[in-house]
Amino acid sequence: MLQHILSVALVAAPLVASASPISSVAAPDTLGVTTTASIPRATSGNSRPWYRPNHVVLQTGGGLGMVAGGAGFTLKDRLELDILVGYVPEKYAGSALSLASAKLLYSPWTLPIKDKWSVKPLTVGGYFSYTHGTINDEEPNQYTKGYYWFSTDTRIGALLGSRLSYALPPTASGYARNLSAFYELGTNDLYILSYAQNRKSLSPADILVLSLGLKLDI
Amino acid sequence: MRSFLQNLPVRALLPVAAAFLFSSCDLLEFSPNDHRAPESERDLTEKNLARLLQNPLPAGDTLRFVFTGDSQRFYDDAEDLVKSVNQQPGIQFMLVAGDISDFGFAREMRWVNDDLRKLKVPYLTVVGNHDLVGNGRKAYEAIFGPRNYSFVYGDTKFIFTDTNGREYNFDRTAPDMTWVNKELADRTARRHVIISHVPPQDEDFDPALREAYAGALRQDPRLIFELNGHRHAFSIGEPFEDGVTYINSSSFESRQYVILTVWGDKGFRLKQVTF
Repeated sequence: MLQHILSVALVAAPLVASASPISSVAAPDTLGVTTTASIPRATSGNSRPWYRPNHVVLQTGGGLGMVAGGAGFTLKDRLELDILVGYVPEKYAGSALSLASAKLLYSPWTLPIKDKWSVKPLTVGGYFSYTHGTINDEEPNQYTKGYYWFSTDTRIGALLGSRLSYALPPTASGYARNLSAFYELGTNDLYILSYAQNRKSLSPADILVLSLGLKLDI
Repeated sequence: MRSFLQNLPVRALLPVAAAFLFSSCDLLEFSPNDHRAPESERDLTEKNLARLLQNPLPAGDTLRFVFTGDSQRFYDDAEDLVKSVNQQPGIQFMLVAGDISDFGFAREMRWVNDDLRKLKVPYLTVVGNHDLVGNGRKAYEAIFGPRNYSFVYGDTKFIFTDTNGREYNFDRTAPDMTWVNKELADRTARRHVIISHVPPQDEDFDPALREAYAGALRQDPRLIFELNGHRHAFSIGEPFEDGVTYINSSSFESRQYVILTVWGDKGFRLKQVTF
């Protein structure tokens, strides 16, 4: 587990590196190095309408699509809601799947590292996903009530991750803006149940799912 | 950024990270329905058959195999089953009568294979209704192989067929009677054994095909018995009172299996084993 987290953090570093050309425009001097990194985006007294997302997200894996993209809202400091639409080609799942997901993420700490870099060492969260396009989705009267106690297309899951952020120049209206690379290790309801009932034969690593992604404040 | 990379031992570790990313493709699951798997965990039916045929059974020799079913979510029991079967002398292979997975996920099928690949003998499966849930149909085909297949070992032809009619909304395609009739009509092998998941007397069997299936079996002079799973309980009998013996397997969590010994034209002996 620890090894996984460590390795993924390492994987995340080059991802951010590749994003560095975007930041070649020098940030205004008024932007304090530490403050940019550690102060979360303005959320109180926000003049933006409630439906305006605070960031956009692009990710792979996590059971939410080969690619999944969407937008997120900062509900309170440290709490985010991301809405994603994902896609899996037929080649990998037997039929082309589209997934609609909602992730609720809580990141209690933001730690400045150096210059414009900061890290959110821990993100805990949960997700809900709905999959459209499965081959054998339940049709009316196909099964008697309770024949299968689980849903084939609705999953809930838990996740744990962290995030590395780089401060970009602020928006025209003065909002702080970060580009972040994140990873999340998660699992879903059915995998958790499988593990809970077979702790001799399965290990926690057997039920883990990884997602890697980028998040850009807008 | 450059200084960041230089200050941390990141550069030295980048190859390690890249290697991890490469190996973590498995971890980067696109969906629980994602059925990508390493080459060693795909086409298991074909691989197990190749392994079986490396030890051919001379004509006239007695055939002995283990029959069980419904491994589903019973991974801890699967471990114990493997230990028990590995102690049985003179076994040629093991048959699993479907429901390898519980939720139709390839990951589950691979968890079962993780246990069953430790058997000293190869194992063969037939598809069950749980293996067809969601995108399980394609997952089963990717991890194991075709839903209808047959092979000849020694004097016996084994016919595996998908009888999970309810999963196809009873559209009269399962079992594929054209295929079943063709397989049963084959006279090259001395004996026939047919194995499927849902027994024909069950309400999950396509009612429109029940008589066609039972009738075809009744008319095959080479058929020794018909094997099923689905009911999670051992039984042996003639549900249609037509001279055709139907044997139902225990599930893995019942911690029982049977050893079937076959000889002559239709001679067989059944031994129940508890583990």
